[in-house]
Amino acid sequence: MRVISAKKDQPHEHAFREKTDKQIKKPWREYKLHITVLIISIISMSIGVQKIYLSKTVSIVLMPLLYAMIIGLILYLAKPIKFVGKKQSKMAEGAMLVFIGPLLAKLAVASGQSLYVLAQVGPALILQELGNLGTIFFALPIALLLGFKRESIGMTSSICREPNLGIIIDKYGFKSPEAKGVLAVFVIGTMIGTIYISFLASVCASVLPLHPYAFAMASGIGSASMNAAAISPLVYMYPNMANTLLAFAGFSNLLSFCFGIYASIFLGIPLTEYLYKHLEPIIGRNVPDVLSSISLSSKDTSTTESSEEKSLGDD
Amino acid sequence: MPFDPDPKVITFKRVLYWILLLLIFSIITVIANYVGYKHPMGEALIGMFILSGITLVGLLMERLLPYQISNIIYISIIGCILALPFVPTSGFVTYYVSKVDLISIVTVFLAYVGIGIGRDWKDFKRIGWRGVIVTIFVISGTYICSATVAQIVLVLTGAI
Repeated sequence: MRVISAKKDQPHEHAFREKTDKQIKKPWREYKLHITVLIISIISMSIGVQKIYLSKTVSIVLMPLLYAMIIGLILYLAKPIKFVGKKQSKMAEGAMLVFIGPLLAKLAVASGQSLYVLAQVGPALILQELGNLGTIFFALPIALLLGFKRESIGMTSSICREPNLGIIIDKYGFKSPEAKGVLAVFVIGTMIGTIYISFLASVCASVLPLHPYAFAMASGIGSASMNAAAISPLVYMYPNMANTLLAFAGFSNLLSFCFGIYASIFLGIPLTEYLYKHLEPIIGRNVPDVLSSISLSSKDTSTTESSEEKSLGDD
Repeated sequence: MPFDPDPKVITFKRVLYWILLLLIFSIITVIANYVGYKHPMGEALIGMFILSGITLVGLLMERLLPYQISNIIYISIIGCILALPFVPTSGFVTYYVSKVDLISIVTVFLAYVGIGIGRDWKDFKRIGWRGVIVTIFVISGTYICSATVAQIVLVLTGAI
């Protein structure tokens, strides 16, 4: 329990709040940002959902949310218009923490409404949380084969969202290889996680012979944007189950928020350590450049910290 | 006028900024929702105001109550309670909220996210392809294993 209480007292939590408060100062000043977002949203919604058949049975569902995120990212990176710059990016980032609210509230309303259905599937909802440990069996061998050493423990013991960052940094220290690993996957997850899980959900739903309910429950991995991105293709594919699917997804995500850190501390990290001890001597590789490729913590800490704080608003 | 640095203190200005942001977000979402689903704008706007109200209460509770609980949890719990079938607000809340599609909310949200995460791009590139592969396996692992466990338990308990 020491781990948890220590995490709560971490100063960066409040520093982050303070930073968000600063970033959302005078929102009307950045009215051009909001107009840009409005235009992005109208374009994305007009394109609508596109279904691409890879073969007769396998399809990818492209959702408007993907276009919106990619257009937003391109607008910032390619800078075709002057008024989406650093300042606007900061405002957008601060605003994310507030805007996550209506998204969560929407899923929560669906959960409350479907209380009786949720009660019926309670055991499945709770036990599927253990499936989150699957990340260790899938990803640890790959990380070892790619040449990661202790970094792989941070990378694969969890889904590497905000609470997991806190746990790993608290347990191993900010400069440790484990913390480097968790930060690396955190940054990549922020960048591609939302887009990837939406693809994954649509492909899995058309390839794997599992019930949509099972996929809906699986989409609650402890990140609100990934949760929504994973459930959207399912809602589109099974419109008559829409509300139940939303309820399962939202509730499962809430369970992950509440109990994910305990699962990580008491099951995830010990299991990863155990597997690492036994697998590393067999399949571990010595790849010379692998450490420099995740050189996040070799930068000055302030940059790393800010990148960590920055993205907290995503979830 | 200096901005109050203590995040525990609620100032009128801070709440005003939240309300304004939520208002902007509601309007954009309702327009996107109309473009995508042709839901009547008035009803959807009431739906967004309900969701924004829940958010505002959650944000206030996080700052005002002495517990170390994130607003994410408060917002989820308030939303759940207001929509419970035996609670009097249920009919009103679920009717108007159903007029706002989840996809509309997420689309607008992710447009902000796309612009907001742009500054992380350099970090992302520095980590390299090995990190990307591991991340893909991390996400796939949790998703597929959770779905498999859920499926097994659903079948065993006779829920499907």
